[in-house]
Amino acid sequence: MSQEPLAHRPDKPALLVGVLLLAVAAIVGHDASTQTITSNYGLGPTAMPYVICGGLVLLGLAHLFVAFREGLPKPEAADKSALLWIAAGLVGLIASIGLGGGFVLATTLIFACTARGFGRRAFLVDAAIGFVLGLIIFLVFAKLLTLILPSGPFEQLFL
Amino acid sequence: MDTLLSLLNGFSVALAPSKLLFCLVGVFLGTAVGVLPGIGPALTVALLLPVTFKLDPAGSLIMFAGIYYGGMYGGSTTAILLNAPGESASLATALEGSKMAKAGRGGPALATSAIGSFVAGLIATIGLAFLAPWLVEVAVKFGPWDYFALMIVAFVTVSATFGDSPLRGLTSLFLGITLGLVGIDKLTGQARLTFGVPELLNGIEVTTLAVGLFAVGEAFYVASKRLREPEEIIPIKGSLWMSKEDWKRSWAPWLRGTAFGFPIGALPAGGAEVPTFLSYSTEKRLCKYPEEFGKGAIEGVAGPEAANNASAAGTLVPLLTLGLPTSATAAIMLAGFQQYGLNPGPLLFAEKPDLVWGLIASLFVANVLLVILNLPLIGLWVKLLAVPQPWLYAGILVFATMGTLAVNGSPVELMMLFAFGYLGYLMRRYDYPVAPMVVGLILGPMAEQQLRRALQISLGDPMILLENPISATLLGIAFIALVAPFVMNGLNKFKAAED
Amino acid sequence: MLTSFFKRGAVAAVALAGLTTAAFAQMELKIMAPAAPGGGWDGTARSMQQALMAAGISKSVQVNNVTGAGGTIGLAQLIGAKGDGHQLMVNGFVMVGAILLNKSPVNLTQVTPIARLTAEAEVIVVPTDSPLKSAKDLAERLKADPAKVTWAGGSAGGTDHILAALFAQAVGADAKKINYIPFSGGGEALAAMLGGRVTAGVSGYGEFEGQIKAGKLRVLAVSSAKRLDNAPDAPTLKEQGIDLELLNWRSVVAPPGLSADQTKALIDATEKMVKSKEWQDILKARGWDDAYLAGPAFDSFLKEEIARVSKVMTEVGLVK
Repeated sequence: MSQEPLAHRPDKPALLVGVLLLAVAAIVGHDASTQTITSNYGLGPTAMPYVICGGLVLLGLAHLFVAFREGLPKPEAADKSALLWIAAGLVGLIASIGLGGGFVLATTLIFACTARGFGRRAFLVDAAIGFVLGLIIFLVFAKLLTLILPSGPFEQLFL
Repeated sequence: MDTLLSLLNGFSVALAPSKLLFCLVGVFLGTAVGVLPGIGPALTVALLLPVTFKLDPAGSLIMFAGIYYGGMYGGSTTAILLNAPGESASLATALEGSKMAKAGRGGPALATSAIGSFVAGLIATIGLAFLAPWLVEVAVKFGPWDYFALMIVAFVTVSATFGDSPLRGLTSLFLGITLGLVGIDKLTGQARLTFGVPELLNGIEVTTLAVGLFAVGEAFYVASKRLREPEEIIPIKGSLWMSKEDWKRSWAPWLRGTAFGFPIGALPAGGAEVPTFLSYSTEKRLCKYPEEFGKGAIEGVAGPEAANNASAAGTLVPLLTLGLPTSATAAIMLAGFQQYGLNPGPLLFAEKPDLVWGLIASLFVANVLLVILNLPLIGLWVKLLAVPQPWLYAGILVFATMGTLAVNGSPVELMMLFAFGYLGYLMRRYDYPVAPMVVGLILGPMAEQQLRRALQISLGDPMILLENPISATLLGIAFIALVAPFVMNGLNKFKAAED
Repeated sequence: MLTSFFKRGAVAAVALAGLTTAAFAQMELKIMAPAAPGGGWDGTARSMQQALMAAGISKSVQVNNVTGAGGTIGLAQLIGAKGDGHQLMVNGFVMVGAILLNKSPVNLTQVTPIARLTAEAEVIVVPTDSPLKSAKDLAERLKADPAKVTWAGGSAGGTDHILAALFAQAVGADAKKINYIPFSGGGEALAAMLGGRVTAGVSGYGEFEGQIKAGKLRVLAVSSAKRLDNAPDAPTLKEQGIDLELLNWRSVVAPPGLSADQTKALIDATEKMVKSKEWQDILKARGWDDAYLAGPAFDSFLKEEIARVSKVMTEVGLVK
């Protein structure tokens, strides 16, 4: 089996996925082994985790094997700044909700940052669009469905 | 003939102008709300329940039924246009539908889903009117072992969504099943894989995973390769309407989808997901152009959408005949009945025939109204895709996060959405299919629970799976479906060698 | 435009309400439903909102949902809102068990109890063709072999499960060995009963009512102290010599650290609401039983329930 493939270096992404799968398998297995409560009859809550753990180990090993063969498909270089802008938008959104900034601010951030990530250069205009969109959604939910989306100081003005 | 007379009588109730108005309001609201990812018909009906408190029973129940059907239509719109399957039932629709939309075939995709929903809704509602009492007898006989076998059949068919690498497909599926373990184990109340985070106790929300992997992941992916190979979205290519070819390729999937959706939907624990998966993989197998699957095959939209809607009507079978709520929406509709002191079940048919048959008739009416409402909207929806790309994706992210926030407004849920989004990006980059992961999350816990219930009843004896005719048959089907491709392959090779 | 319209409407409504109940007209309330929209606690919260506003007790009532972990995430948030005299949270019997099951770091002894609002009796049923005719028959079967008696009901550690365990204890069977199968939602449990897959079913009376009246299920016992008005033929457990009583109740609680005045204002507002016609109408429409109990009496009731539930859950092995 191992005559020709070892000539080139192992495929890093495949190696990494393989190791990660083994790590997930270890977590699942460990979690199952620490369960204290079992069922009186039939299968307990640990049977399924152990089956999955086994499956993940096999898949992890298969990835390690593949790493020394053809590896995973080789992707092209990614536009890092685009990814960072969208990620920044999502982080801003989470921060805004988590720290009580409210839904409208969150929407403003995610809209403007995503548009920037896709190459728009009019951050303030996009922020304004996001703001109006967020406000409309908030009001429709609050007034028509009586469902209050996360609200900060600004949203309180409308309640 | 009695049924027919009762139904005609029902139409005289449902077609009264005031009831027609309730129905119209219902389908309109249902469509509007169904379009929003994460906000399903169950939530809408729940929120409207107090509002309708003072309305007359028949009217508000007809409205709820309208919302229910409308929500099913609306859900597919988001799945096709924005690739954000807001309900787990529209997951299969998103697979092919979003590909069609980006290739300028959004019009036919929406049309086949609307008309397919109409056809399925019509047939299934006829089934509801005429077969319900008989069907429900069979449905309650389904034991946990039978459900487990059904889940296994569904699992076997997942391979239809694997793409070209079984290894990467299986990895995606197993990660999904792993996610399904997170949270409280339903049978012992014990927490698994929650790492002390209370937000994880309720498990991973299917919509969070689906919207994260599909919509957010796609946004990351498209943005990342924007400069090298910008994604081309063609709003309309060719006809906005279905071509003759589209009709020819759609009608059979509609009927097969209905055949999956209605009976499985009528099962107390059948659900809408299993029939849509079964329909998708069946269409892929039967399709004359299997190479189109994954690139926007119309059969892959027509079948699952019909299955989805037929299962919605199927859910009403146990609700009306036995008072069994078997979906979230049905549970809330039951609360709606009870708020008027009505208890659905065999007695209701005898005591309030006008109301029950009026409701069933109004389902036909709702179906017609929906197709009238939705077909002209298609032109409008498709124009959404003409929005400049930065705004389109920014808007998709706003809607995706809004759906998550409306259902569960915690930062932890948003962090999961973000993490799943990035995971979706990485998976796309290295060509891992994302759909099996969501399927694993949906089916994994269902299969586990049913198997454990079955073994609890049999006191641990696994033979119970083979002793019951239904489960034995289903497991046989699953086995054949699993080995048939290998056997066929072997036979072909053998033949080739002979030649 | 839209908001100003709504604001003006609200102002007008308050002005009208102010004429009748000057004392509480200023009270703004926030009610948290520690569950997703659409569930039982959410229904209670929204019904309270409806009654409080319609009866003019409060000028504005906001309902918000905090989902997750059997309500314990909401509970943690409520405890965090220390000293807020305008915040209420709906909860119930199920939360007592959920706190133990989830090993929640917060618990119900940390809140300010306001009042118990509603209660629903549980029923134990069997399919009509079952040979079991009374709770005694079921008890005999259970004592003989607990494994062979399969129970269908709601979630593990929920009211149904606890009733089954208490029943086993009360009749002298081994509660640890009960074969209880949790189903998601009343519908599935009901289907398992009708299909004859399980021996007995446990649930709130309302969920089984249709099938009981249609003659497909037979009630062996109700868990309340007295027979139910809408099911006078069904005997209680006590009548059959089984010393057990259990109600699935719902209540409202407030954050910790309230002054005596703040607590009194909340109890007063709740009492006014409970006595309002609007609330009574809602109870009737939804089929909820009034179980109003406030102040110190509710406080000690809550403590007893917590003690009882933790005892049985440990004995059954749900909590270690």
